[in-house]
Amino acid sequence: MQRKLISGIIGIFIALLIGAIIMLLQGYDPLQTYGALFNFSLFGLFPFATTLRNSVPLILTGLSASVAFASGPINLGQPGQLLMGALFATIGGLYFDLPPWLMIPVLLLLSMLGGALWSGVAAMLRKWFNMDEFITTLMLNMIADFFTFWAISYPFFDRSAYSPMTPQINTKGWLPIWGEFNSNVIVMILAFAVIYFVFNRLTAGYEWRITGHNSLFARLGGVKIDKNYVTVMLVTGALAGLAGGLVVMAGPHRFLKGLGANYAWDGVMIAVVANNGLIGTLLYGLFFSALQTGSLGMELITAVPKEFIMVLQAVIVLVIVAGRGYLDIFLDKTVAKRKARERTT
Amino acid sequence: MQILIEMKEIIKVFPPNVIAVDNVTADFRKGEIHAIVGENGAGKSTLMKVLYGLEHHNQGEIYLEGQRVNFQDPGEAIAHGIGMVHQEILLIPQYTVWENIVMGAEPVNFFGMIDRQTARQLVQKKIDEFQFNLNIDAKVDDISVAAAQKVEILKLLYRNVSVLILDEPTAVLTPQEIPQLFNELRRLRDLGHTILFISHHLEEVLSLSDRITVMRKGKKIATVQASETNKSDLAHMMVGRNVLFTTLREKKTVGKQIFSIENLTYIDGSQHKGLENINFKVHEREIVGIAGVEGNGQFELVNSIMGLIPTKEGSIRVNDVNLTKADILKRRQYISFVSQNRGKMGAAVKASILENVMMTHHRLNPQFTRWKGLLLNDQYARKFTEQIEQQFSVVMDRMDNPFHSLSGGNQQKVILGRELLLATPFVLLDQPTRGLDVGSIEYVHELILEMRDQNRAILLISADLEELFRIADRILVLHRGKIVADLPTDQTDIEEVGYLMLEGKERSCKEN
Repeated sequence: MQRKLISGIIGIFIALLIGAIIMLLQGYDPLQTYGALFNFSLFGLFPFATTLRNSVPLILTGLSASVAFASGPINLGQPGQLLMGALFATIGGLYFDLPPWLMIPVLLLLSMLGGALWSGVAAMLRKWFNMDEFITTLMLNMIADFFTFWAISYPFFDRSAYSPMTPQINTKGWLPIWGEFNSNVIVMILAFAVIYFVFNRLTAGYEWRITGHNSLFARLGGVKIDKNYVTVMLVTGALAGLAGGLVVMAGPHRFLKGLGANYAWDGVMIAVVANNGLIGTLLYGLFFSALQTGSLGMELITAVPKEFIMVLQAVIVLVIVAGRGYLDIFLDKTVAKRKARERTT
Repeated sequence: MQILIEMKEIIKVFPPNVIAVDNVTADFRKGEIHAIVGENGAGKSTLMKVLYGLEHHNQGEIYLEGQRVNFQDPGEAIAHGIGMVHQEILLIPQYTVWENIVMGAEPVNFFGMIDRQTARQLVQKKIDEFQFNLNIDAKVDDISVAAAQKVEILKLLYRNVSVLILDEPTAVLTPQEIPQLFNELRRLRDLGHTILFISHHLEEVLSLSDRITVMRKGKKIATVQASETNKSDLAHMMVGRNVLFTTLREKKTVGKQIFSIENLTYIDGSQHKGLENINFKVHEREIVGIAGVEGNGQFELVNSIMGLIPTKEGSIRVNDVNLTKADILKRRQYISFVSQNRGKMGAAVKASILENVMMTHHRLNPQFTRWKGLLLNDQYARKFTEQIEQQFSVVMDRMDNPFHSLSGGNQQKVILGRELLLATPFVLLDQPTRGLDVGSIEYVHELILEMRDQNRAILLISADLEELFRIADRILVLHRGKIVADLPTDQTDIEEVGYLMLEGKERSCKEN
């Protein structure tokens, strides 16, 4: 745990340094830029609240990827599952009229159902036709993309709009906002707590983890790996779907074109950087959200374009992922050297 | 004779803390065949790889003709006249013999293209010089393994290597091909080459080499003249104890029948009969051994018993419960299983020791969980791991460390402990001592006997006949998927079982 924290902090620090060098080479002032970046994402109530709000889809899709990868299934369908979740929540929001205390949970459940349904398709394709979820989830992303685009262009199209989008959902399904803080953060924290508990404390989570490490060992130990595979696919699909539902219910309150943005792929990236650790996913999710949130302000104040943040993200991913392996090798080698020296004396 | 290579106080530690070569000092003379012998994992290959620049030593010095050298990669070693032939053949099968030989050091013409004419001539000259019987235009794909090995050696000779390191060269050869290789090696020696020869076959070593260096557990035990030693002395040095093994068997009356397999036949996807009409029983307080050359149905037998492959013909029973079609969890209520491959089947090496210990218990023992099996009982699992640590004298740092931080012997103790503490009547052991050092093997054998004394029925699959004769009460011989013999251990001997393993039938006229 401590080693992970240290390697993470060192990695981010080195990445920021490399970013500063790139900026210097292009004639920007790195200190001013980083100042603006973090001023507009962390320091102050509004920036911090925005960072929190923006982190929700990143963290939830990141959790989805982390849990899936750590348990075995290569579920790369978060983008599609997010869109299906968003669509389900939107449709529910358009047709249901319940009191808010019921409406919100129902829409959240609907979004989870949408995501789980979509990952469930991949799980069934694997079960019945032995198709690799690595491929099918990627393909299903495409289908979800076009299917939702069709849905918001025709059956659920808002006739008063000029571009594909649905009408706004029933205001009873809007997530409450307290001051600057959007309550989508609370839903995310609840979901995180539940997943963390399931993954680390429940028998099921133990079996998922061991299956992720070595499925043959788990199978020989009496774990029903096929059943667990389906469960993990459904759970991770539901998480990505929930991310989609929250995007709709916290933000535009409707499904509009390009709603999924790059959330899910960023989530997958966060899972990779966090090495599929749940707490790591939460922390890196917050950090990447801060970068993305601050980038707008950075562009406003300095001449550095906000696309620079994508460069910085890429550098962070490379430095941390490569550095993690290297740090282990380095520490192991140091131990080996010390041991060899002990032998001679 | 003049000393050519000197290795002084070489230490090689594989990160993080496996000491492969432990303070070894050795010298190799010009024009000798020098054998390096030792058990698997004794460090002989690593020592040679250090010399060849393939591995880098942590401490120590290497001298070549009195000059200190430190090869960073094999290329440098070859430039200094030291070459190594690996255990596996590393040639391009689609290329011809001469193409393989010149590859990487091709003679080129004015335009920088390979000068085929010259290349072929050079290769032919080398072949004639050393009287290797090879057709230089044959594709490597079409030639025998022995010939391919010659190509490997020629590849080095073509680069004017004068020190040849051969890593278990006879492992891939048939018995008839071995004397031929030895003759060629002797001829090379007589032409002034130095040959370092890694092996664990003592007879070969004695017949071929001039001097022999014995290694054990990374340490050099001794260097001796081949003419002044014999097989049993070498074996003693290699293993560190008298190899005249003592049996641990005791005459015990067996109890009721526990395990039975009836008419089990397994036909794989390519219509090959992996197992044919297998019938046997194992009783209470009985250790039944299965002998056989690997690949004669052991894999299929284990997988059938464990339920990894479906059984279509025949039946498997424990305590009169029919497990033929049962799922794996159901089987595990009756069967403890130790696999031959710790990393692949016996453990999740990246998961913690604690998590590895809990496996299967978490489903079968209700104390491991709360809320009707939903929630893990961490406290109980920790207590249980401590119990295994003490009861099986496992050396571990913290139970939350990854499983791979344990040494091989300790890993096996944890696995054996886990399986032993399952309350099962039947224990299936698939090569439980593979890859362990001598001390650990002895401990594992004691544990197996302890299991027997707990009234369990034990099926022990082993490729090691000594092991079977040491502890098994009965030996079944598996040959091409059939059980060809069922012999009480005290009425047979290693020779007979060895013959049955290879031939699948009794010797037609028994000597003596």
